[in-house]
Amino acid sequence: MTGRARARGRPPRQGSALLAVGDAPLRGRRQPPQPLQPPQPQQLHVPPPQSEEPGGHGRLRGFESILQERRPEGLQVSSGLQDLSLRDRGGRRRDFHDLGVNTRQAMVHVQESKTGFSGRMIKLTTNHFRLTSRPQWALYQYHVGYSPEMEARRLRSALLFQHEEHIGKTHAFDGSILFLPKKLENKVTELFSRTRNGEDVKITVTLTNELPPTSPTCLQFYNIIFRRLLKMLNLQQIGRNYYNPSDPVSIPNHRLMVWLGFTSSILQYEENIMLCADVSHKVLRGETVLDTMHSLHSQVGEERFRDTCAKELIGLIVLTKYNNRTYRIDDIDWDNNPKGTFRKSDGSEMSFVEYYKKQYNIEISDWMQPVLISQMKRKRGNIQGPVALIPELCSLTGLTDKMRNDFNMMKDLAIHTRLPPEQRQREIGRLLNYIQKDDNVQKELRNWGLSFDYKSVSFTGRVVQGEKIFQSGNMFDYNPQFADWTKETRGVPLIRAVPVDNWLLIYTRRNYDVANTLLQSLFKVTPSMGIRMNKPNMIEVDDRTEAYLRVLQQRVTPDTNIVFCILSSSRKDKYDAIKKYLCTDCPIPSQCVLARTLSKPQTIMTVATKIALQMNCKMGGELWSVEIPLKQVMIVGIDCYHDTVSGKQSIAGFVASLNQTVTRWFSRCVVQSRGQELVDGIKACLQTALRNWSKWNKCLPSRIFVYRDGVGDGQLNTLVNYEVPQFLDCLKSIGTDYSPRLTVIVVKKRVGARFFAEIGGGLRNPPPGTVVDTVVTRPEWYDFFIVSQTVKNGCVAPTHYNVIYDTSQLKPDHVQRLTYKLCHMYYNWSGIIRVPAPCQYAHKLAFLVGQSIHREPNLMLSDRLYYL
Amino acid sequence: MDKNFQEEFTQIIKFKPPLYKQRHQFVKDLVEKYKPKKVADLGCADCSLLRMLKFCSCIEVLAGLDICASVMKEKMHTLSPLPVDYLQPSERSLTVTLHHGSVAQKDPCMLGFDLVTCIELIEHLEEPELKKFPEVVFGFMAPSIVVISTPNSEFNPLLPGVMLYRHPDHKFEWNQAQFQSWALETARCYDYSVEFTGVGQPPTGMEKAGFCTQIGVFVRKYPQTGESVQSEKPTEAVYKTVFKAVYPSLKDEKYLQNAVISEVIFTAQIIKHRLMSKHEEYGDDPERKSKFQPSMDCFSDYLGKLVVEKNMEPFVSGNEIYIPLATIFSFPKVNRLCGTFEKLRKLIAGKVTLSSDGSAVMFNIEHENEEN
Repeated sequence: MTGRARARGRPPRQGSALLAVGDAPLRGRRQPPQPLQPPQPQQLHVPPPQSEEPGGHGRLRGFESILQERRPEGLQVSSGLQDLSLRDRGGRRRDFHDLGVNTRQAMVHVQESKTGFSGRMIKLTTNHFRLTSRPQWALYQYHVGYSPEMEARRLRSALLFQHEEHIGKTHAFDGSILFLPKKLENKVTELFSRTRNGEDVKITVTLTNELPPTSPTCLQFYNIIFRRLLKMLNLQQIGRNYYNPSDPVSIPNHRLMVWLGFTSSILQYEENIMLCADVSHKVLRGETVLDTMHSLHSQVGEERFRDTCAKELIGLIVLTKYNNRTYRIDDIDWDNNPKGTFRKSDGSEMSFVEYYKKQYNIEISDWMQPVLISQMKRKRGNIQGPVALIPELCSLTGLTDKMRNDFNMMKDLAIHTRLPPEQRQREIGRLLNYIQKDDNVQKELRNWGLSFDYKSVSFTGRVVQGEKIFQSGNMFDYNPQFADWTKETRGVPLIRAVPVDNWLLIYTRRNYDVANTLLQSLFKVTPSMGIRMNKPNMIEVDDRTEAYLRVLQQRVTPDTNIVFCILSSSRKDKYDAIKKYLCTDCPIPSQCVLARTLSKPQTIMTVATKIALQMNCKMGGELWSVEIPLKQVMIVGIDCYHDTVSGKQSIAGFVASLNQTVTRWFSRCVVQSRGQELVDGIKACLQTALRNWSKWNKCLPSRIFVYRDGVGDGQLNTLVNYEVPQFLDCLKSIGTDYSPRLTVIVVKKRVGARFFAEIGGGLRNPPPGTVVDTVVTRPEWYDFFIVSQTVKNGCVAPTHYNVIYDTSQLKPDHVQRLTYKLCHMYYNWSGIIRVPAPCQYAHKLAFLVGQSIHREPNLMLSDRLYYL
Repeated sequence: MDKNFQEEFTQIIKFKPPLYKQRHQFVKDLVEKYKPKKVADLGCADCSLLRMLKFCSCIEVLAGLDICASVMKEKMHTLSPLPVDYLQPSERSLTVTLHHGSVAQKDPCMLGFDLVTCIELIEHLEEPELKKFPEVVFGFMAPSIVVISTPNSEFNPLLPGVMLYRHPDHKFEWNQAQFQSWALETARCYDYSVEFTGVGQPPTGMEKAGFCTQIGVFVRKYPQTGESVQSEKPTEAVYKTVFKAVYPSLKDEKYLQNAVISEVIFTAQIIKHRLMSKHEEYGDDPERKSKFQPSMDCFSDYLGKLVVEKNMEPFVSGNEIYIPLATIFSFPKVNRLCGTFEKLRKLIAGKVTLSSDGSAVMFNIEHENEEN
């Protein structure tokens, strides 16, 4: 700013009467007081108000900003983007893109090529857009030093930006690191500024790095710039993504509102740096938490009100009326209410009612409502620890489990959120269009010397041939379009049918008819499968959990093959109690079915068929197989379940194949409390799996494939550096002469990439078996995508496979084919699924244990798919 | 000055709350008192005052002006509507605009304001600008109320470290007499009355120094005739708009309609839910019964009273449930939103499935029973 400009308006940082206040007392005052007041068990905060943030017209501002700033280590970017910051620095945020984890370099056999060859070619487009930069583009990284040392970030920026004539108008600065699109004349530039109280400061700007466009720092930088562009387009940030608030879809039936938005990431792909943009939908609820509490109260009554609230609300993310932040509800404090007080940062006590009135002019109308508690994981400004929120001032976002189970609601939502390929690509095109049309955005991009290809990337993928399904000497083809062989295999004997000689059928009085219908249907469908089925012990019970349990305790014998329960409602507690008893105390396979499922005459035969198959698997039967050309191979699947409601527990499901045809599985799980490493348990699982395999095959497997699901964004590094070595360790411990070939593949279902097949001039979902291993994969990884499933509506999501460790020496084509084959082997679905069967089994197991059993099931069951 | 004396005051002069907050609070109190609809902050800097004022429910138009665009842009996004503002649009309408320009220039976008605040602004003006300032603010903008705050130089000796001015960019700092004579002259010239006050109490024994920040509140003596504006030749727009946010409001038909439809359907759903659970109470499921035990919340009470009235009772016919619009209209929330029954009908026309005569909301319950 020139002196002239300064003269006419109020400059940003001007003098104030507060010059008298020294730094030390002020900073001391700002710190949260240490001793806690006895009446309050924990120090509560209210969400930091916006207006309390750096807002003063004085010298104070600098210090307040460093203490109250949301993102203290932020990076400022020029041209109207200063309000955002680079908070990825200093390891504060996880590296969501797993940048810098280079696993391919260790695998010699895929150095040259990681592409497969089988299958027919298919023309695909994707949601990736090339990022282009000027030739010889580089980002210049400078270190900025101050003498005397300046502490406040805002002050540091202000002092530096007085020299825009030197450093240029386009810059990004986080307080110590400065990025510029151009190189300064000298390696070291000295600048002189004066603070508002007349102190002279020497600023030394030193070139530290010349970053090529592909460097991880640069990629991080692109992502930040891009998110800023979205903000410039007036999109609202909620969580990690940006949404367009101006054109919401409202679904009044369920009081929902859907905002359309975008997810974006810019990464180095095989040959280019590309933007991967996808449509994202944010479900928001047009009601406050208080509204929800009221309706819960009227639904469940006083007695179960608090429990229900806790169940429904804890874990949900809320938005507040007064700031643009999201909070997770971690607890509900029923003993508190808006009249309760909290300690302000200056140490004084104030009631919530008073605070919101004073700070935001908001009148809290209900003074009896409880207070929501949110634990801040990361320090936000000077606020850390529990934050109190008033239900009336919070709006819910997202869906609860209950809502997800509401068929009607999901159906209504799907209309808006499941976009077919053409429409999805059109919506993504709209975002690119906004970017292209907005002058400010274009100017910003130009200043950095960046631009986008506004046409999405096209390339060819391969569709590998369909698998043949084998069932007791019969061979079937399935229609690849449907990826399903229910019809083809109907009435064909199973590979291994386990006789049901001794079993219990438990039902309530009013389901007597249903039980009989089921029984007749089962008798009709089982013979052709080759299942021999005796009449069950029919037991009528009261519709109470204890009644069920008593029957189980009295009537289950060691000879019982399976217990069949017909439940009259989807009450979880009853189901949980039955499963818990029969999985731990008394290890017998069990089958629970809702009476409603059996009540429709037109579908009973289909249902009975599925139930018969499921029962057979639970007792150790085998249904079908595909050709597995590899010999002496053990396939492992791992998935995790994180218990969000009761918190604390994580469960890893571990499943390993037992036989050559990969039709029998050994299943275990690891229950781990928070803070413990899952991998220790997994190691033990692998050991027992190997022992079991050798028992079945009279030797140890010479190849092991581990499909590892449940790996979060940014956890890849841990996996590579910690988990894989543990696997190797475990194998070593089996014997000195034992060194099988190990392949570890990370399976990821939630990926941003979408593929569209160009068929007949339009965009369609690619057919099952589509493999992509070029263009949109990452150069530093041995990775590929497979579209294995089909979807009825919306866009099919490809599954990403990342081979992080591989001594198999197999060609990439063979690894891809094996992976695809395994997607055919999930016995609860006679069709192809999204992930290899062992992953899905592991998921099923972990889910059952996490939801219902909460401890490791009895090992007697481990050679059966009892959790299906 | 005596060194010991100064040190003594280093300890003493601490404002609590901080002085800038006191100035903001002063403006806020003024807004509470006069309830202006249109407020402009001249020299709005990082918009912190505007950010506070946007929560004042009487304000419908909020404008900021500053000579430095980058400092405004730095935090301007915090003036945007929040997601919740879209989810629950408020009754009032609110437009926030930021202009880039000088207080020495006239721009028609500054006309028609009720309150104009100039907090710590004038001391940054060079002499030519300061000369033009009264004509622009009092003559041209001519709001009902003007608030001007500026440092009181008599207080400076009490502040350690202040050599000449409190800030290097200050072009002058007035004592009380200087400020008051300027203010009185300006007020006289443009037919305003002025009262002096301030924030930042002087320490005991030093009362003569006056407030740390001196404030003049100017009130226009005569209501504006409107002629004065028209008589002047139309001014051209010279300010550049750097930011504009229109808050969702129920005054906007689009948002009102959405709100009404959502409320109507939701209310109808609750009534339907109750009606259906009542039916089920006659079933033999013991768990169901306990689930819907009478609750004591006011909503159900209210509903209980309602259904007694004739013609307003919801009823089931075959696979359809009918809930009379009149019942829905009698709910306070719907009632408040629509005002009249006719308005309700108009707003939901074509958006909500009604019975053939249009008197009731209709739901088909056939499919729901299957899946629930």
